[in-house]
This record gives sequence, structure tokens and C-alpha cells, in this order.
Amino acid sequence: MAKYIGKRLLRSLLTLLIIITIVFSLLRLMPIEGYFQNYEKMTTTQIQVGLQQLGLKDPLPVQMLHFWQGVARGNWGESHKYRVGVDVMTIIAGKMPLSLALGMAALGIALLLGLPLGILMARSASSKWKILDRFGTVFVVIIQAIPSAIYHLLIQFYGSQLPGFEMFFSAGKPITWLLPIFSLSLGNIAYYAMWLRRYMVDESNKDYVKLARAKGVPSAQISRRHVFRNAFVPLAQFIPTSVILTLMGSLYVESLYSIPGMGGLLVQAIQLQDNTLVQALVLIYAAISILGLLVGDILMALLDPRITLGKKEGGR
Amino acid sequence: MAVFRLKDSKTQKLADSLESQVRREFTEEELFQFAPYDPDAGERGGYSGYSYWRSTLRAFRKNKVSMFFLWVIVIMLLFTFVEPLLPYDKEPNTIYHSEQVVLDLFTRQPKVDAEGNVVVKTDLAKDIKPCKEFWFGTNVIGQDLWSQIWQGTRNSLFIGFAVACVDALLGILVGVLWGYVRKLDFFFTELYNVFDNVPQTLVAIIISYILRPGISTMIFAMCLTSWLSTARFVRNQVVIIRDRDYNLASRCLGTSTWRIIRKNLLPYLVSIITMRMALAIPAAINNEVFLTYISLGVPLETPTLGTLVEAGRKVMSEAALRYQLFIPVIILATITISFYIIGNSFADAADPKNHVN
Amino acid sequence: MPHENDIILSFQDLDIRFTLRGQVLKAIRGVSLDVYRGESLAIVGESGSGKSVFTKSAMGLLDANGTIAGGHIWYEGKDLAAFTTEKEWLTIRGKEIAMVMQDPMTSLNPLKTVGDQIEEAVVLHQGLRGEAAKQAALEALAAVGIDDVERRYKQYPHEFSGGMRQRVVIAIAVACRPKVLICDEPTTALDVTIQAQILDLIKQLQRKLELTTIYITHDLGVVANVADRIAVMYAGDIIEVGKCEEVFYDPKHPYTWALLSSLPQLGVKGQELYSIKGTPPNLFYEVHGDAFAPRNPQALNIDFVERPPFFDVSPTHKARTWLLDPRAPKVEPPEHIRHLREQGGKSYA
Repeated sequence: MAKYIGKRLLRSLLTLLIIITIVFSLLRLMPIEGYFQNYEKMTTTQIQVGLQQLGLKDPLPVQMLHFWQGVARGNWGESHKYRVGVDVMTIIAGKMPLSLALGMAALGIALLLGLPLGILMARSASSKWKILDRFGTVFVVIIQAIPSAIYHLLIQFYGSQLPGFEMFFSAGKPITWLLPIFSLSLGNIAYYAMWLRRYMVDESNKDYVKLARAKGVPSAQISRRHVFRNAFVPLAQFIPTSVILTLMGSLYVESLYSIPGMGGLLVQAIQLQDNTLVQALVLIYAAISILGLLVGDILMALLDPRITLGKKEGGR
Repeated sequence: MAVFRLKDSKTQKLADSLESQVRREFTEEELFQFAPYDPDAGERGGYSGYSYWRSTLRAFRKNKVSMFFLWVIVIMLLFTFVEPLLPYDKEPNTIYHSEQVVLDLFTRQPKVDAEGNVVVKTDLAKDIKPCKEFWFGTNVIGQDLWSQIWQGTRNSLFIGFAVACVDALLGILVGVLWGYVRKLDFFFTELYNVFDNVPQTLVAIIISYILRPGISTMIFAMCLTSWLSTARFVRNQVVIIRDRDYNLASRCLGTSTWRIIRKNLLPYLVSIITMRMALAIPAAINNEVFLTYISLGVPLETPTLGTLVEAGRKVMSEAALRYQLFIPVIILATITISFYIIGNSFADAADPKNHVN
Repeated sequence: MPHENDIILSFQDLDIRFTLRGQVLKAIRGVSLDVYRGESLAIVGESGSGKSVFTKSAMGLLDANGTIAGGHIWYEGKDLAAFTTEKEWLTIRGKEIAMVMQDPMTSLNPLKTVGDQIEEAVVLHQGLRGEAAKQAALEALAAVGIDDVERRYKQYPHEFSGGMRQRVVIAIAVACRPKVLICDEPTTALDVTIQAQILDLIKQLQRKLELTTIYITHDLGVVANVADRIAVMYAGDIIEVGKCEEVFYDPKHPYTWALLSSLPQLGVKGQELYSIKGTPPNLFYEVHGDAFAPRNPQALNIDFVERPPFFDVSPTHKARTWLLDPRAPKVEPPEHIRHLREQGGKSYA
């Protein structure tokens, strides 16, 4: 197991290096306006000198080297537009905890609501009383089919009209946390409910469930000890996807509710064309996604005794 | 376990003929004589005349909900093309003006100039609610929403279809190569392992950020890595064709490769590709809305559902102007829900497990 | 000859139906069969003949779309066919009647240790807890011939070979302490070399625990090996039942002839092996008369009109065929079947 995790870790690191290299190279093509505070007023020579100073005239490998040297010293560059001259990591570090808290809360709520919904749907699907399954399916379809950008918007709009709720976030008022967290978790609730339902229905048709019935295990115990437990394992491989879903959702949700977090920051940085900030944020997001995948794979290996060689069971 | 067989006309006929045979009257002596032996009678019910595509279509057509949404999409698609030809002549990008009679501040009567004419002020025809003149109203700068929305639907659907097509074409091409040419396997597998880690949306953000905004940029940004998962899928199918026992057995019996591809690979592939395409369209539209929101969308002069929703969002706080948000949202949701449902029920219909009966 | 009160399980006029998208499939059509205490009965028939469904009905394990439409299943004075709630069935499943299923590769939960899965049965049916339950589970493992039980107890199914897994499945069944053991094609999925071991194991356990065993199989080799009595099933009906020797050496029903003729061992070198022409009837349609008639070249007219009753051949042997009616013309079984009788009959008569 330790060997598997070690291998997997090494692999993730390698992937991260490759991705950073590619993204870094791509981002050299960023619009040059994004490096200067008052681009419009500058002369061509001034711009050229400025680029020279930033090292952007160097060949790509040299720039790459400088970037890595900087990163090694904890220096990711300075912001050019958002907060001029401030180290981007300082800016990001100030925003990260809030985003993390929101994201974790959203993931937690997604599990808390999505899993029971999936179980209820699966139970209802195999009983005579299918109405619950139908309603659940309609909910899942709506959430999956309507662009998240739309329902985030509608939730903000209608949710803020409820008594006590507000349109914008303020960290000191707990009630203003509710809407963005709920909004962020919706996609994952639908996602978990859908897959858990499907896996439970699949599992309950398997031979070992028939054998458990034949040996006289009561059906409540079968669905608790056998079906749910086994259906839960493949869900581990959805953790990376749900992390990505939350990350991308946070970009939109944070800026909608004016939450001073990382997601809103990326949107602002893009709108302001602050290249260094965009670069650092994109790399962090890629790193978090890779981390999510790693966690999912390790969790899967821990839960399923059959996985020892890193072979994934089934497809996503 | 009982083997369930498909009911078809042939077996029904045989059953009927047997029925009539039974009804014949026999004397007791005749009863204990040998019956004529019909070797075919023993085969009744044995063969089903099963056809994959026919069963798939039948299973799909049985699903009333998805048939409804299929019609919705077909009609909407046709309409986006027919709409510009309709006698309602408004240009999506023209800014309309309205003429208003200027009232005298004190008398509240129409102002009259020195020559006795009523003074008329020309103003932008902005924020006009849906009316006879502007069916869906006008937006904040006085453009006609009806034409904008249909133009936008056309553009958004174009982006969606383009992404889905590139995805499928590139995916199949690379997937087949990946599966068949063993030397390429390592390269593509590693490529996939790396890029599967990066969220699609993030790729789209990077690309849209460094390139000039526009429809083609958007299509390129969304296609750049999405084909990899299609290719991966095709590759797995090809490997199965190559290595699975039933295909090996089939080949040992002298089945040609072409027949194996046609009977074992193609049905599965076509159905999955169709489903992926149907789901790629709502995903593309979703991305488009999102990219527009973070100001990486297409320029304003090309309306898309994304730009329209974004424009509507900006005026959302004014109750009187909310039609500018809701109309594009309703159209957009109708499209994505339709495609999503069609894609999923097609996948169900294409699964042979659901072809029983 | 067993007495009436030696009957442990009795099926009477059992009708089982499945509903499949509005169509009704009559999987079992008015079947009666007595199972005697302590015997070993084999139900033979080809795939889809309903043998599996038939026995599953005695455990309430029919699929959700299947129902008992008529008849009775008597067990210890209770009519199992009238059971409706899970609570009632839980008094039977495992406790009274246990089952060994066909495919050991899939019939164990892959995510639970073998020990856990045996213990589950021990806890439910022997009422043991904790360490005592574990001991009982270890004993069950040892009883089915697994070595190194302490280590094996903690292992997962994927660490066992097919034959070993089937032993575990048997251990689970036996750990329930049932009176009747249904073995649904217990060796079909196994290597030929393992098959004999598993059959021996079941036989040995049957003797030791005084079990009544019902084998479901399409493999006549298995039947010859283990069965005291044979019931031949075709298209949802039992068409011949008798002692093993009676059915093998003196079969009466044309289908039994055909079935025995398909034994590769009876083939003559250089000649094509015998196979039964045609396919079993589609049970979505009403079957008139003898279900085998359309595939039987020597069928009588009455075979298409009226279902034959059981004719007694001997007190222990009966068959559902009009050929046994005194009015019927004399039809001799195929030559190799007669040959079989001459050979076997000597030692048996």
C-alpha cells in the first residue's frame, strides 16, 4: 500500500511539473498590456524597456529557469494591476483560507445531502413507491442540465429576497455564508445522488446480494452492510471531479457574492489583465485539481482491497 | 433462469397456426396416432429477428419525455434558421430609436416650436418591454431582443455543435490510432494522464485569456483537451475488439475484421459518441456563459446566449427589466435540458440490456 | 419406499409467473414434487427449463417481477407459497433451507473478508456473538476443507481460487445449520478437476449433517455421481421423476430419451453426436398438451391437444407422456437407450 501511494505521489508531482511548464509557456503569450499599470500612456520604447526589465525578452527556457528560481525562494512575481508591486503570493495567501473554508463546507454539505438523497432514491427505485426516485431524478436532471452559471444567478437573486438573507457576502454575518455554500454544493449534491443511486441499484442486482438474501440476512441489513458499503467505494473516484466542480463553481459564486476569496480574485485578475496574478492562480488551481485526483486514488486504494497495482476499476 | 425471447411477427404467426391445429377435432382413435412432424415447429420462438438499431430506435421512441424534447430541439433548430427569413424585419445589431413628443414643463402640453410644429425628440429605444413592435422588447442600448435572441441561439448552438463535432472526429481518429498502433499507446496514455488532471474550464480560461476573443477562439479553447477523453474511450473499445475473448472466438470462426467492427464496435461506438455529442452541447453552452461572465467571451457584436444572459444579469436588480434576463435564460435552459435528456435516454435506449421485449 | 411423513418439502400444483413489460411468462406450470428427508434429489433440464426458478420459490427468492400464481409449497406444516412478508421468509432462508449458488466468483462480497461473511450467517442462525461466532466461523472453514483457517479468515475473496471460493460459499450455507441445501449448478463454473472435489465435499457434509440436498444441474455426469432420485424438467414442468437408476436405465419420456442421447459418452466414434432438434417453447405463449411435442418426431396427435397426466411406471417412477397410455401405439426408445438399459439393467434388476 505504501509503495502504491508513494508511486502515485511521485506521479502526481511529475504531472504537476509538466503542467506548470506547459501553462507557463502558454502564458508567455498573454497580452502584454497585462504587465504594466498604465500601458495606454507608455511609448513603444518604454514598453520594450519594461518588458526587458521583467525578463520577458529572454528565451523561454531562461524565463522558465527564472520562474522556478523565484518559486524556490517563494517569489511568484509581483502584481501589476490588482495591487501594484505587491507579491502575488501575499495577495493569494490572504484570500485562500476563506475560499478553502467555503469549498470544504460546500463539499461537506454535498456529502451530507447528496448521499442520503442517493440512498433514498435507490431504495425507492427498488420498491413499489417510486415517486421519490422520480422526484430525485427530476432534481438531478435539472441541476445537471441547466448551466451552473444560471442557477447560481437565480439562487442569488431569489435567495436574497428571503427574510434575513442578503445579496452579498460579509464574513461577519453567518447568514450570508448560507447562499453561496448552498449554491456551490448543489452540483455535487446532484452528482453524488445520481451516482450513488446508480451504484446501489447495480450492486443490489449482484450475486453476492442474492447469496446474502439466501442466507437469511434481513434486507435492511443487506442494504446497510453490503449494498451501501460497496456502492460507496467507487464514489471515491468522484472526489477529484467534485473538487474540480467546486473549484470552478467558486470562480463564479465568489465573484457573484463579492466574496473576497481566490475564485473571485482570478475573475478580477482576468478582468484587470494582471498577468502575474493570473499565472499564479491558474497554477494553484491546476495543483489543487491534481491533489484532488491523488486523494481520490489513494482513498480508493484504501477502501477497495482488490486495488494493489493502481489499476482503476471501471470507468468514470 | 428463464430465457426471455423477443416477440416478433414470425413467432406470432407460428403460434397462431399451432393454435388452429389444436382446435381441430380428433376422434379418440386419431388422438393416439402419430402427428405429422414439422421440424420448423420445434424452432418457433427460437429466433428473434433481433436488430440492434431497430431495437434502439424503438426503445428511444417509447420514451415519451425524450421524444417530446427531441421535437422541441428539432423545432427550435429549424426556427433559428427560418427566423431571419420571417417578415419581422429587425436587425440584431441595429440600435433603434424612438420619437417622443416633448411636453412643456409647465403646461404639460406638447411643446410647439416657432413654426407651429410639435417638437419631437429622438431617443434610444432602450429597455422597451415586449410589445407589438419589439416582440421580446429591447435591451439597454435599444437593440431588438427577439432578433438578438435567435441570432444568439444560432451562434451558441453553432459553438456547441462545432465543439461536439471536433470532439468526436478528433477523438475517433486519435482513439483508433492509439488503440491499433501499439507504439503510440505509451505516448497517448501519458498525454491523457497529464491532461486529464486539468479542469476543462481552466484550459478554456487560459486559452481565451491569451487569444483574441471570438467564436473561433471559444471553440478552440473548449476543444483543446476535451477530445482526449473521447479518444481514450475509443481506444479502450479498440483494445477490447483486439483482445476480448468473444471477438477472438469470432475471429477464429472466420469472421472478417470489418464484420467485427461493424457488428461489435460500431453500434456501441456510435451510440456512445451520439450521447457524448448530445451532452457536449449543453456543456459548451455552460462554458460559454461562464467565459462571458468573466469577460473572456465573444465580443458584444456577436450575440450569443452567454452575452445575452450576462447583459440581462447586469440589469437584474431592476424588476421592470428582468425580462432581459429571463427570456434568454428560458431559451437556454430549454436547449440544455433537451439535449441532456435526449443524450441520456439515447444512451439508455442504445444499451442492449434495455432491448428485452 | 419412503413414508408420507418422510416428506420434508412438498410442491403441489405450483404455478410461477413472471411479468415482463405487460407480457406474462409462465415459468412453472402446475408442478408437483415431493422431496424426502435426507435424500439427494437432482433436478435436470436445459437452460431456461425453470429448474432454478422452481427451487428459488421455496426460499422466496424470485425476482421482483415473479410471483407464485397458484399451488402450495409445504414445509414442516407451513405453506411457503402463502408467505408474503420478509419476516416470514426470514424464518426459512438460511435457517431451514440454504443455497449454494452457481458462480463462486461473484457470489461473495468482494469488499468483505471471508470470515466476516461466514460470521454473518453464524450470528444470524447460531445466535453466537463475538469470539464464539469467530470460532464457529473458523470451524465452518475447516469443515469445508480449507487449511490455515486463521489466516484465511482474514482474507478477501479475490485472494481465493474458484474452487476455494465455492468451498467458502458452502461453508456459509452450512454455517446456517439448514435442513435442506439447494445446490444451484454448484460446479458449472469450476474446472473439471475441482468439480469432483466439490461434489465429494457436499456429499460428505450431507452425510455428516443429515442434510436433504437438491441439486439443480444440466450436467448428467453430476447427477449420476450424487443423486438418489432424478426429476427431469422441461419447459416449466417436471416430465419424469424416479430413482436414479430408473431414469437412467428405463426412461419413459421422449424428452428424457433425447436428453440421455445427447450424452457425449453414448456417441459412436465416427458418427455425429446426437443433438435435440429445435428449441424449447416460448413460455410467453400458452403451452398446449405436451410441451416437447413440436420437437418430437414421434409425437402423437393427443400430445398437441391435452397435457399428459403422470403415469406410474413403478411405485417410485412416473412420467408424463401419453406413450404410457394403454391406447398409445408402442414406441421403442432409441437403440442406444435400450443398449444402456441392457447394460445397466443387469446389475440393477
